[in-house]
Amino acid sequence: MSDRIYLGLPGLATDVTTLKEVFRYRVNMYTIKEEREIEPETFAHLVSSTLYEKRFGPYFIEPVMAGLEKTPSGAYKPFIAATDLIGCLNFAKDFVVAGTASTKLYGVAEGLWEPDLEPEDLFETCAQTLLNAVDRDAYSGWGAEVHLITKDKVIKRTLKGRMD
Amino acid sequence: MDISFALTGKGYVIVAADTTAARSIVKMKVDEDKIKVLSPHLLMAFSGEPGDTVQFAEYIERNIRLYQIRNTYALRPPSAASWIRRALADSLRSRRPYSVNLLVGGYDTSTHTPHLYWVDYLGTMSEVPFAAHGYGAYFALSLLDRYHDPEASLEDGLATLRRCLDEVAKRLVVTPEKYKVKVVDKDGVREVEI
Amino acid sequence: MEAISHAGIVIGVLSKDGVVLAAEKKVTGKLLDMSGATGGSYGGSGEKIFLLNSNVISGVAGITADANSLVNYARQAAQRHLFSYNEDIPVELLAQRLCDLKQGYTQYGGLRPFGVSLLYAGYDPHYQFQLYHSDPSGNYSGWKATCIGANNGTATSLLKQDYKEDISVEDAIELVLKVMSKTMDSTTLGSEKLEFATLTLDASKQPKAKIYNPAEIDALLQKHGLGKKEEGDAAAPAPGDLTL
Repeated sequence: MSDRIYLGLPGLATDVTTLKEVFRYRVNMYTIKEEREIEPETFAHLVSSTLYEKRFGPYFIEPVMAGLEKTPSGAYKPFIAATDLIGCLNFAKDFVVAGTASTKLYGVAEGLWEPDLEPEDLFETCAQTLLNAVDRDAYSGWGAEVHLITKDKVIKRTLKGRMD
Repeated sequence: MDISFALTGKGYVIVAADTTAARSIVKMKVDEDKIKVLSPHLLMAFSGEPGDTVQFAEYIERNIRLYQIRNTYALRPPSAASWIRRALADSLRSRRPYSVNLLVGGYDTSTHTPHLYWVDYLGTMSEVPFAAHGYGAYFALSLLDRYHDPEASLEDGLATLRRCLDEVAKRLVVTPEKYKVKVVDKDGVREVEI
Repeated sequence: MEAISHAGIVIGVLSKDGVVLAAEKKVTGKLLDMSGATGGSYGGSGEKIFLLNSNVISGVAGITADANSLVNYARQAAQRHLFSYNEDIPVELLAQRLCDLKQGYTQYGGLRPFGVSLLYAGYDPHYQFQLYHSDPSGNYSGWKATCIGANNGTATSLLKQDYKEDISVEDAIELVLKVMSKTMDSTTLGSEKLEFATLTLDASKQPKAKIYNPAEIDALLQKHGLGKKEEGDAAAPAPGDLTL
């Protein structure tokens, strides 16, 4: 969504495309009006209200988002959040999961995650969680993409799944 | 029962669709054109619920034409496909959605590249090297996986399409007797015999 | 119309691999607080040059308040196009959108037209790099090199003299600075009187707008031997590219 906000949209493919375009539009309009980049927490509320607008005919999407928040001192603080398909926000301190493998992801993440991981350790935790969870899921598992967001760069890595 | 195929090659897109209009078990017509020419370099094959198909295709056709009249140049294939997809996605959440599946093929005259988009009635869209809708898809996709070449000449492309049509003729219970085939390339749109 | 002929000059030059815009700032002085000028992804260099969309920059001359409202309208129009068609708005279409709005105010009584002329420098796959000019009546036209604002007659004849077909973007920058230095009232050019921007293609063939910050403008002027003879190189250019 921006240099330091990433959004995952698991769900119905048509809604993935539509919401991607809707959020791009709304974030750009916010940037024009405010003359500054949107903050992750503000963006999370934007996601929530966009989904709740369709409360009685929802988009079939459960978004997860991650980003870096600017603190008043100018430093950056990690931020993650997720919502359900009608926009109920969940600001978690540890991890958020969604998609067809979500039930398995909860289990593996609960076992592997620990506080204050260094970037590369966090990447390994995230990658192992994903790959091992999708192995137990019939609907997913061709591979994965992991974006490691740090204050001066974003590293994108593509992982191959078992495909069986 | 509609069957449509499309494939890209070196500087062109081939779009093919059967020509039968059937109602229940009866063939009503065998020369129905199910491929609309949306602009000088854009084709759209449509299939799905009878009634919806023509209605939706004409709506798209007129709106693409209107854009061209208003803005002096036509929409490029990626933009046209995005707009058409949105029309379907919006329709999906309306009181009565259109049940129409599409193959949108076009030649981008500003970047000199062919484009093909597979779109279903939900508004799912993906850009693909080859595509099929209907029962034909069950037989053709594996053939196209094996034989499709994005760098193939028009003759080779038509030969690959021929393979798909023959396979359908051989294996499908009720086979359409005729197909209409249209090609779009740098010179525009034309119909070819197969 | 009167306001435009008194406004600071804006020059635009088209080249085969980019477009260049430069503008003369009128409201200056050391008491002016420029800390509010945005360095973010949107915004401009302050008074006269703005980013309308990732593929279009514009320079304005006339009533600044009217210009701000037009810039805002243009940005929204560009976003609406992006939303509907998933592509950056073609440059001519954006110029048309604004001219439709401007023309409307010439037709009905009771309202005052927008007292603004604009230059649009942009890129789209249809016609590659383009430069357009629009006036308050809603007329627009495409140019290879043109200017708006005070002294535009002098500047136009200078451009006519020195413009060559197949000019490169580097030569266009030099031409713009040269014409600027000859037409502006002040004897020496400096970042406090000048705004500058270019639109080129990046490595992946995507349009890349660059609105220069004051330090970069001074560095550019030094490079072309037009800057003030300063006491050493105080300000090093900070890379602050303005892209979406």
